[in-house]
Amino acid sequence: MLDDLKIKRLILGTALHGEGSAEAFEALYRKCAPLLLGIARRMVGRRELAEEIVHDSFIRIWRSAGQFDAASVQPLAWMVTIVRNRAIDVLESHDVSRVDALEVDAPGEGIDALFDWAPDLETGLDTERRSRLLRDCLAGLHAAERQSLVLAYAHGMSHSDLAAHLQKPLGTVKGWIRRGLANLRECVERRTEAAR
Amino acid sequence: MKLANHPRLDALCGEYLLGTLRGPARRRFQRALGEEPQVALRLRHWERTSLPKHSERIAIQPSRGAWTRLDRELGLARYRPRWFRRVGLWRAWAVAATLALLAAIAVPILLPGLRTAELVEIARLESADKREVLHAQLSSDRRTLRLRPIRPVIAGPTQSYELWLLPAGGGAPVSLAVLGALDARFAISPLQAEELRPGAKLAVSVEPAGGSPTGAPTGPVILVGEIAS
Repeated sequence: MLDDLKIKRLILGTALHGEGSAEAFEALYRKCAPLLLGIARRMVGRRELAEEIVHDSFIRIWRSAGQFDAASVQPLAWMVTIVRNRAIDVLESHDVSRVDALEVDAPGEGIDALFDWAPDLETGLDTERRSRLLRDCLAGLHAAERQSLVLAYAHGMSHSDLAAHLQKPLGTVKGWIRRGLANLRECVERRTEAAR
Repeated sequence: MKLANHPRLDALCGEYLLGTLRGPARRRFQRALGEEPQVALRLRHWERTSLPKHSERIAIQPSRGAWTRLDRELGLARYRPRWFRRVGLWRAWAVAATLALLAAIAVPILLPGLRTAELVEIARLESADKREVLHAQLSSDRRTLRLRPIRPVIAGPTQSYELWLLPAGGGAPVSLAVLGALDARFAISPLQAEELRPGAKLAVSVEPAGGSPTGAPTGPVILVGEIAS
């Protein structure tokens, strides 16, 4: 399992840009590149494009490791954000319909196959509760809302990709996303409040 | 209007994290993230509470050469400790050693009449759990050491294996070879051959690429065995 504490140390070692930083950065790459590549490949659908995204992202990670805010950001999430942003840039600049080439998970493959709900070792109980709570809230959404959110997040689908993939009018799909997000937000807030 | 006061700020954060905020709207949001701390704070809140972690089941190995390309493009050699940069020297040494070895092998073949030296097993090195075994063989002319693992074992890109001689009468370990793989054959000096006698031990440790930076074993010893005869 990817250990956030270890990843954090490696990012901080990379950020020094001194002797030994190359080793920290290499260890970070060996540890995290496979998952990041998996995420990118799902988003853009094509392996060679995904490899480019991960390459560009690691250049960015090397250069901006000094700005990584260890106190308030989860280290792996920080890297995932960089990769996802780069992937969306690529999706936006590639003027091709990607829906045909898309490999979508088998219908049975739901939120438990794509995501990991285990808590971080570092932050313990708090994340365990948060993780379970988020899973319950996602599972509690209407099926169409949940499906749209997961397809957009895991497969990098835009509103129009979703409309084409699900064969529904654009307005309907936008509504599912909007309501799905609002319901998820409301559920997370309500249950976080209740847990206090 | 500032995005921080936008009535749909939470919704914008959500669509941004989801990836469905695209085009000019996405760029405007990213600009606001740099300019309006409240927007960044709100985004961070949603990032922490409502983004699931990706499962490692979806991971795939990057293609071979991907790391080398990154390494070269960023010029990472400058950020390695000085001993690591000496790997260049080790490489030159390895080339020289290979050439010497090729010559040692080629000469007997090219000059008939000179017989290839026979190999005699002198030690059997084992891991603590006895599952890994390495046979160490010495040529009958005592000039070449041959290592034969029972299965191929190759060091990772940031590691080397180092073979040590632990002299019979005690004393500091002597490095015999730095190896990228345990299957190896290399020349040893007459002085080293002299020390390869019953009671002495051979050991393999894991070291940073290029071998121990200190001249003594620094990493874990994975295989050890006593010289028999």
